[in-house]
Amino acid sequence: MAESARYLYAISRSLAGDALADVRGIRGAPVAVVRHEGLDAVVGDVPLEEFGEDGLRTHLEDLAWLEEVARGHDDVVRAVAELGPTAPLRLATICLDDDGVRRRLEESRGSLVSVLDRVAGRAEWSVKLVAPSAAAEPAAEEDRPTSGAEFLRRKKARSDQRQEQHLGATGAAEEVHRELAAVAVASRVLPPQDPQLTGIAGTMVLNGAYLVDLAAGDDFAVRFRELAAAHPTLQAESAGPWPPYSFAVLEEP
Amino acid sequence: MTEQASGLQSRPYSGGAGQMARPQPANLADILERVLDKGIIIAGDIRVNLLDIELLTVKIRLLIVSVDKAQEMGIDWWRNDPMLSTSAQDLADENRQLRERLDELEAGEGGSSSG
Repeated sequence: MAESARYLYAISRSLAGDALADVRGIRGAPVAVVRHEGLDAVVGDVPLEEFGEDGLRTHLEDLAWLEEVARGHDDVVRAVAELGPTAPLRLATICLDDDGVRRRLEESRGSLVSVLDRVAGRAEWSVKLVAPSAAAEPAAEEDRPTSGAEFLRRKKARSDQRQEQHLGATGAAEEVHRELAAVAVASRVLPPQDPQLTGIAGTMVLNGAYLVDLAAGDDFAVRFRELAAAHPTLQAESAGPWPPYSFAVLEEP
Repeated sequence: MTEQASGLQSRPYSGGAGQMARPQPANLADILERVLDKGIIIAGDIRVNLLDIELLTVKIRLLIVSVDKAQEMGIDWWRNDPMLSTSAQDLADENRQLRERLDELEAGEGGSSSG
């Protein structure tokens, strides 16, 4: 059998022994729990050849490979997040064996514990607002401009209108974010996703992530629907619950 | 596992304002944004410089992998982005300007030494 390595999906705690028995990770491999001092690392085997330094360098360039691994990673993280507080690890965190995994748990123990405390009983929701890509041309011109000045006046009016729409969308995004952040325990504004990557036409004016108490999930959803209805010119989408990817950060106190 | 070879294309928001997304496989952009850009960073035994592989880079690579596909879809923004590509025309222009400048300098030097 080819050599394998331990791929780390997430850190949690107090996982029941067989809770992840049916969960499959990357390449369909079963997952296991490596415990150390009250922390549980959820790991699975991956072929060392494929996930070694050279292998990764090559494979990360391959969209199909990347997608499969990213979805496999996310699948396991989601399964863990249903069981308890979960700190997802960044893609492709790999140790050679379980001792290596325990060493990492030991090294980062304090900050891992505080991350788990912060996300316990909470989930992440994402909200995106997209403004239409360009202002629709004004309703059919009732008449042709009668002069050059008239033409320029109309042209300026259209430009002002576009500017207003843009400012309006930005202002609306700020308002929506403020309102949602008030229902959340923490929030982050992520960089807008590129329309070329998402295939979504228009300008993403908000790409927000919100850490919400599980008990407040319904409130958050209701507030989102109200805000979306209040801004009918913007396309609004909310997705979740996500594992707290955006809020599991070691650097923060 | 539910692999979907869905590739890059994701549908436009179809729900319209006010619709909560149904539980569904998250789109690839959302997943990559999180698994590549977020989450706990712990240095494992295998060194991966994920900082080099942030979304922008991935995006570029994805598009380069399938330039033909991208162009079919009308995606060609990298052509005009100086961070990403220096078009052959720019190179030619720069080359020409440098050559002219060199000629001037050589001519000036020759002029002063002979004069």
